[in-house]
Amino acid sequence: MKNLFCYVVFVLAWWFTMGAWADVSLTPMKDRPIAPGFTLVDMDDEKHSLSDYRGKVVIINFWATWCPPCREELPSMNRGWSKIKDEGIEMIAINVGEDEDTIFSFQGDYPINFTILLDSKGEVINQWPILGLPTTFVVDKQGRLAYRAVGGREWDSDALLNKVRALQQQ
Amino acid sequence: MGNDIKLCRCRALSLAIGVLFSASLQAGVSSTTNPETKLTGWKLSQDGFELELIQRLPDQTRAFFLARGFSQKLADDIALSCVFQGIGRNIFKSGENKSISVDLRNWQLQVGSKTRSIKQKEQWDAEWDGQAVSTASRIAYRWATFPTQQTFEPVGDYNWGMISFDLPPGTRFDVHVHWLLNGSPQQAWVRNVHCPADIHPEPQ
Repeated sequence: MKNLFCYVVFVLAWWFTMGAWADVSLTPMKDRPIAPGFTLVDMDDEKHSLSDYRGKVVIINFWATWCPPCREELPSMNRGWSKIKDEGIEMIAINVGEDEDTIFSFQGDYPINFTILLDSKGEVINQWPILGLPTTFVVDKQGRLAYRAVGGREWDSDALLNKVRALQQQ
Repeated sequence: MGNDIKLCRCRALSLAIGVLFSASLQAGVSSTTNPETKLTGWKLSQDGFELELIQRLPDQTRAFFLARGFSQKLADDIALSCVFQGIGRNIFKSGENKSISVDLRNWQLQVGSKTRSIKQKEQWDAEWDGQAVSTASRIAYRWATFPTQQTFEPVGDYNWGMISFDLPPGTRFDVHVHWLLNGSPQQAWVRNVHCPADIHPEPQ
């Protein structure tokens, strides 16, 4: 009886406390506008254009090293990346306004396992519908903005990744 | 076995108290002071909108902007303007289809008998025209500060950033917060907020 009491209280506590936060997802973009194009360099100074990824679903995260929620979601992005990297889905982190040295040092504490691009002058982010960091988009195979997430997410959540996978199947 | 049950009861009771405490916070404004930093935060939770305003020591803000290339004078100007960390969040569930829009230009500050507005990031930026503020510094300022206008969708959207109330350190004031819930105006007061003093605590 005592154990049952404990169990019931635990379940109720979990239900109440998690209820507000468990329902996180992605916002579908109305009419799926074309994603603004870009050509940016990665940490090895190699150029990447968004058009290079046409035909693939791409998760594009805008971030900065000094942004606490960006740091908070990066580990889950790494875990998410390890789940989807063999499924033909791409993941890119576009750093806003910082240089290679800053990002390199940052990676000592917060490794990033997927492609990092540098928007050092903040020119690309100004063309995207973004008001704060982090903001993440899912671009569909036709190069359109399919989903947006304002603020951090748990990117290793299968419920969330399944929305991305569904785009890959379309 | 007896100890296990006691431990379980204790944990269950703690959780239950925590749950009740959390529930009581959802209907208004609460404030808590971090015992380590001594900084106070105010949390408004009303009709699916959650707003936190957390004090920042002027020295924190000063250090942040000095590290991003601002001159000592400009970093001081910002740091001494009563900067808070703001966090806005839509806590509706996705099925509820309720968006929340915030426009800082509609918020008002009550300082004694006077009413004033928040100093927007665009106003700060305009002041730096013609001054030696690098592009990198302006980028850092822009993205580290709370957006003037923002819509939060009910899928876990939140945003954060510094808000400058443009008041001297130590000032006490009330914030009249306005937002739109699916286009319908909402408002609430966050009372007796105070700007932290410009102190320089030493490590203990």
